Amino acid sequence: MNLVKIVIKNMRQRALATWLTGASVMLGVALAVAILLIKLGVQQRFEQGTLGYEMVVGAKGSPLQLVLNVVYNLDISLGNISWKLFEQLRNDKRIKLAVPFSVGDNYKGFRIVGTTDAFFKDFEFEPGRKPELAAGRIFNFSEDALKSAFQEAAERAREREAKERGEEVKPAPEPAPVEHPFEAVVGSTVAEQTSLAVGQKFIAAHGVQPSAEAKEHTENPWTVVGILKPTHTAVDRAIYINLDSFYHIEGHELRGPTAPEKSEEKDNDPDPGQVSSIVLKLRSPITAFGLYREINDREDAMAAFPAAEIRKLFDIVGNIDRLLLAQAILILIVAGVAIAVSIYNSMSERRREIAILRALGARRATIFSIVLLEAVTICLFGAAAGLVGGHLVVGLANGALYKASGFVIPAFHIQPLEWYILAVAVILGAVAGLGPAVGAYRTDVAKNLAPTS
Amino acid sequence: MSAILELRGVHKSFRGADGNLIEVIRVKQFALGTGEQTALVGQSGSGKSTLLNLIAGILLPDEGEILVNSTNPTQLSEAARDRFRAANIGYVFQSFNLLQGFTALENVLLGQMFGGGNGGTDRAVQLLNNVGLGHRLHHKPRALSVGEQQRVAIARALVNAPTLVLADEPTGSLDSKNGTAVLELLRRVCTEGKHTLLLVTHDPHVMERFEKVVRLEDLQ
Ligand SMILES: Nc1ncnc2c1ncn2[C@@H]1O[C@H](COP(=O)(O)OP(=O)(O)OP(=O)(O)O)[C@@H](O)[C@H]1O
Ligand SMILES: [Mg+2]
Repeated sequence: MNLVKIVIKNMRQRALATWLTGASVMLGVALAVAILLIKLGVQQRFEQGTLGYEMVVGAKGSPLQLVLNVVYNLDISLGNISWKLFEQLRNDKRIKLAVPFSVGDNYKGFRIVGTTDAFFKDFEFEPGRKPELAAGRIFNFSEDALKSAFQEAAERAREREAKERGEEVKPAPEPAPVEHPFEAVVGSTVAEQTSLAVGQKFIAAHGVQPSAEAKEHTENPWTVVGILKPTHTAVDRAIYINLDSFYHIEGHELRGPTAPEKSEEKDNDPDPGQVSSIVLKLRSPITAFGLYREINDREDAMAAFPAAEIRKLFDIVGNIDRLLLAQAILILIVAGVAIAVSIYNSMSERRREIAILRALGARRATIFSIVLLEAVTICLFGAAAGLVGGHLVVGLANGALYKASGFVIPAFHIQPLEWYILAVAVILGAVAGLGPAVGAYRTDVAKNLAPTS
Repeated sequence: MSAILELRGVHKSFRGADGNLIEVIRVKQFALGTGEQTALVGQSGSGKSTLLNLIAGILLPDEGEILVNSTNPTQLSEAARDRFRAANIGYVFQSFNLLQGFTALENVLLGQMFGGGNGGTDRAVQLLNNVGLGHRLHHKPRALSVGEQQRVAIARALVNAPTLVLADEPTGSLDSKNGTAVLELLRRVCTEGKHTLLLVTHDPHVMERFEKVVRLEDLQ
């Protein structure tokens, strides 16, 4: 027989109250753990996601929106930048690699991204990791085909504008036939969720997100030529098409302030085409800031550092999860109160047993410890169960989470903060048990030994 | 015959509901020798339980001297007094002696724990065998009859081999047949272990069985 045994027996004697109060501690701790894990997962995912994207370039606007757009395939595009800028950057000595992207369509909610073969051949979404094929091949890409697609799109734009002005429309010259114009390489999540397979055709819907009024590009189906292996990045959730096919599509006219028909008036070297964004890989990080300044000094483009933007984002998000954590702490405080109340309620039954123990020679301090230890034990075990439970729930939810959002939370990563949670639980138990323990300490032995009580 | 228990000029008063002090205990002189078995009788409310609590060091006298085994527990610190009680005094109450969450054996072991743990589980089992409960070691109080519960309390009171056993109406909640059996058991084990027994009762059938019967009012 020892103190711990006595405490455990007391807890078992009031098993229901013990379980209920322990469960409330568990709930609070599990919630806290889940919040911490999700935050960690999201932050890791987002920060890791930026690794391959040293610098992104797009139309002027919110740098965060540009980053979300390019790196995570989230949010709508800011508009277009000129192909000339892309060529200029591609030829810049400081730049190792420039990959263009054009967005505007989706298939069943998955973003369709027009790009070049450089995306598969040279681009590393994380250091040392290129998109790899699980099946098929990458799409065929030629810059000649792209140039003619740009011309075609510009032609369509002119026609439409003429129509709007009420002018008679001359039928456009037949575009030169292009080989393999509509090919797509599909991200792993897309393949899994839409069952697109190599050889299958699909029709895109306009807009980067599915919507009711979105009209489908019925006339031009894409053929899936390749499926990518999972990368655990936003790449998994996108469909990559050859950039030229993007500009063959009705509605993907060249637009914005750099549209050819407008720039033509003041610029005798017309812009051949446009893209939504460019991702850059630099030869040396030393040149990054100079390049950043140069691009941002332009009137028609903006550069952003994804890593810096994401860090800024999480500084804001940090406040939200502090709020959620405060909620978890509130639950823990309520749990602590519940423990105190439940022990208080049992005090009238306990007084007799406390008096017996004292008559057997138990010291006041021993009685005090027994009650305090009980509250601490409930909190400690509740918190431990909460830690395990929090990890387990996140682990179990991971599958669904991956399907819905494309990232995995490190469910079984133990954060140093968790040891603090355990410590806090012990303190909580001690605080909750203090009142009843003092009551137990003060129990009048003689009075409670009398048979009437 | 050396005195195991000695009381001299002990006074104890309580503040009543009206705020006035009421003297409950006034004992000029009282002594018990080693191995003696004494019945203490008195009217209800005359202060018998209070006197036992004073002897056990659960209550402190306002005045006077109480010597148990030549030690005055009153002069010890509270913690030392608790330790002294655990080692030297066995206590049996009228009813609800046992902790409900603990088995018969565990209840006895509890007594042993506070008294320093001498003898181990073997002694506890042996005592329970001696009170006829060898087959009930792992029963919780709820699964025992009231008489059996009193036997467990007796085993527990003896587990630390106390010099003095205090029993406050130990048969008060038993019918006469069971009461007699429990009383004889208590007397037998006290004789065997040479424990001095002071037993409170107002049951004439119980008094009959004691050679020495002391009236509380006679001690004044
Ligand atoms: N803590 C206390 N505070 C105030 N009065 C008390 C206290 N303890 C006992 N008394 C009073 O002291 C008197 C003696 O009580 P005690 O319990 O010792 O009597 P008793 O002889 O054991 O009675 P019974 O035979 O009914 O058990 C009673 O009047 C009781 O009300
Ligand atoms: Mg009494």
